[in-house]
Amino acid sequence: MQINYQDLGFKCGLEIHQQLEGKKLFCSCPTLNSDKEFDIKVERKLRAVAGETGDVDIAAEFEMLKRKRFLYESNSEDTCLVEYDEEPPHLMNNLALETTIKVALLLNSKIVDEIQVMRKTVVDGSNVSGFQRTALVAINGFIETSHGKVVIPTICLEEEAAQKLEEGTDFVRYKLDRLGIPLIEIATDSSIKDHEHAKETASHIGMVLRSVENVKRGLGTIRQDVNISIMEGARTEIKGFQDLRSIPKVIEYEVKRQLEAIKAGKKLSKEVRKAETDFTTSFLRPLPGAARLYPETDVLPVKVDKNHIEKLKKELPKLLSEKIEEFAKRYNISNDMAKELVNDENFEYLRQKFKGKDVWAIVRVLTNTPKEIKSKLKAEDFEEVLSYFYEGNISKEAIIDLLEKKLRGEKLEISEFKAISEEQLENEIKKIIKEKPNLNASAYMGLAMAKYRGKVDGKKVMELVKKFVK
Amino acid sequence: MIPEYGDEVKVHTKEQVYEGTMLPRPEIFEENYTIIKLDNGYNIGIDNKRIEKIEVLRKYEKKKEEKHKLSHNKNLPTVSILSFGGTISSRVDYRTGGVYADYTAEDFVAMLPELENVANLKAEKVMGIMSEDMAADEWKIMANRVAKELNDNEVRGVVVTQGTDTLHYSTAAMSFFLKHLNRPVVFTAAQRSIDRGSSDAFMNLLCAVHAAAKFDGACVVTCMHGTSNDNYCILNRGTKVRKLNTSRRDAFRPINELPLAKVFENGKIEILNSNYNKKNNQKVIVDDKFESKTALLYVYPGMSPDVLDYYAEKKYKGIVIAATALGHVATMNQKYSLIKKFKELIENNVAVVIVSQTIYGRVHPYVYTNLRKLSIDLGCIFAEDMLSETAYVKLGWVLGHTTKIDEVKKMMLTNYAGEITERSDEHAFLY
Repeated sequence: MQINYQDLGFKCGLEIHQQLEGKKLFCSCPTLNSDKEFDIKVERKLRAVAGETGDVDIAAEFEMLKRKRFLYESNSEDTCLVEYDEEPPHLMNNLALETTIKVALLLNSKIVDEIQVMRKTVVDGSNVSGFQRTALVAINGFIETSHGKVVIPTICLEEEAAQKLEEGTDFVRYKLDRLGIPLIEIATDSSIKDHEHAKETASHIGMVLRSVENVKRGLGTIRQDVNISIMEGARTEIKGFQDLRSIPKVIEYEVKRQLEAIKAGKKLSKEVRKAETDFTTSFLRPLPGAARLYPETDVLPVKVDKNHIEKLKKELPKLLSEKIEEFAKRYNISNDMAKELVNDENFEYLRQKFKGKDVWAIVRVLTNTPKEIKSKLKAEDFEEVLSYFYEGNISKEAIIDLLEKKLRGEKLEISEFKAISEEQLENEIKKIIKEKPNLNASAYMGLAMAKYRGKVDGKKVMELVKKFVK
Repeated sequence: MIPEYGDEVKVHTKEQVYEGTMLPRPEIFEENYTIIKLDNGYNIGIDNKRIEKIEVLRKYEKKKEEKHKLSHNKNLPTVSILSFGGTISSRVDYRTGGVYADYTAEDFVAMLPELENVANLKAEKVMGIMSEDMAADEWKIMANRVAKELNDNEVRGVVVTQGTDTLHYSTAAMSFFLKHLNRPVVFTAAQRSIDRGSSDAFMNLLCAVHAAAKFDGACVVTCMHGTSNDNYCILNRGTKVRKLNTSRRDAFRPINELPLAKVFENGKIEILNSNYNKKNNQKVIVDDKFESKTALLYVYPGMSPDVLDYYAEKKYKGIVIAATALGHVATMNQKYSLIKKFKELIENNVAVVIVSQTIYGRVHPYVYTNLRKLSIDLGCIFAEDMLSETAYVKLGWVLGHTTKIDEVKKMMLTNYAGEITERSDEHAFLY
């Protein structure tokens, strides 16, 4: 079945959540994902409380009906009394705020004059306090896409929720190391045109986020929620995408699910659904209502000074997309290779380490080393092997061989890879020809390379062989 | 139309138009920003200098609150809840910044529906005051109000709510002010605000009502979290309890004795320390005479003896000295020795009561020569293992009855409300 998104009155918006590095948003705990054993365990209950307007939130009520006990566990190295809701929040983490402002500026947003921290009611236990602290930092941004502008009405800085470990009939167990990690929430308007456009938008925002320093990298540090609706259907928020690439398919399946339900005359309700690995979605909970936010009175509002914004504007990094173009041009490599370099943390590290040396060797090594090797090596491994090269101890051909040895955990015998002089090489080739006369040039080439692989430049060998063999 | 808090407004600036509800600014001292709650629920502050115009779209109309009518259950005991302020009985209307005035039984049941199955509730908000602003005048009102409830045969027990900061001063005051106590007076409070799902108020209040309805003691107790978990509260004697943490929900700890009991949410009461007066049918009498010229002074290394001149000059009748460890103050060091000043004070009929800064443990008048100087030579009153705060309240109460040093001493060392522990329990330290 081919879906015509326009005809269906398809509306789609994204919420991107990105974790930040450094300290937590309202305390000085590190933002590690600790694998240490738990040394704190606390059991709590939550109740639905009236929100700012006096109404008890429907989503909150739904969770309360379940009457669960919440078991919280953590290691004291990455949690303190703030996560356990036993101590009021400390001052807002300024580095996290600056990072958020930078992201907002890169997304063409207007920073609000004064940031008010809010409490967003969350009664599933994922926040010990029963609410998530969140603050609207910027409004009215936009990005340019292949289908025109996508507006970014809001950019918030908020606390990450705790990670669920286990759910039983009457309890839920959470790990608290993640709770309180600064999280940027970027919301787009509902102008996304179709399933592929959703992926493009998510990917663009992801690229902008990765362009800024202090943003966490790696699995689980960025999450995309997709909100969709079609005529006669119901708004659905889909969470838990493993991969950007699954967005189009999940959207397609969800639209199909709603279409089938409409056709069967079923009434759809507003829901939060989970993206499954087979691209279908499953029910998580009803979509929360609007009475969800009230002021966090324990934190003072944060004034944003105009001069400070101007200062941050000057510190804005180049976008990764710009950097990729620049690298491709500068090193005369393909866009894909340039992208690889831009995304490779080793590149900046090695460039700094070997400042003033020919950067080409680094470019070559990083773009030529097979991915499976690269992913297992540390920056220091590259540094060690490259230093042998820059000191003239090995030829550039030996670099990858040595890295492979490093990966296998073998001891590096540098002498084995010592580059030999042209004179030596010439003599060796003469010797080979003398030992096995009447072969063709490529055969001699093969023999020489077998003997000196990794120590000599293949081109040079060919040149010398051709000198003696016509 | 002049925009007021709660109104739906449109705020025009040169660059932007914001639409939302105008809210009061949280209590801070600058007022250069206008707070708007946007439709998405977020509040933002707009720099007043940028605002060109505020247009009122819709005036705020206060919603009528419908209160759930409570029914009377003949099989349940009656518990009175008296509120004196604090986090547990304060709700703010964020739209207008106003504080809800009343806290009726219906409000408590709305907050905690289980209460309806525990007791028939009577409730009254006696005052709304921050606990740090409370003093003897408020304690007197409190004592009279509590006594009135206790002398009502219908009432099985009384729950008192107030702010946590000085909760242990109030419980000490009630312990001395309420003579011939007949049933439990259970103080409870909240360390975390009640507008959050995780507030400790819910379990504290539930357990407090259970205790007022079932606990067999005739004493003033606190009922707060026993641990950081939401599983049980502990009842601590009103004269032997102290707030030991600024913010934790299990901040109220028993000092120098075990808690009297654990109270669980389901109403189970587990007695841990049965050394208390049992429920009876006496008539409660309020004995609330209190000398306000009573002081509590924390000594420290290098404290100038001149500090005491102030109290002498202002005609204080008694001073509780939070001394170091067993009850020491500087005695040999010419510059800092308090001996001379103590002597003058006592000669002028000012009672000097010695307690310890260590919080746990007992002072001792004799183990060191310097202690003997204070106790035997000068006549300082060593107040056993009494908490500084309890000793302060007790001294004010004692001085309300007599200013004769000998009688003050006798009364200070008489155990009226369990303020002196005769046996130091091995398990009581850091309970």
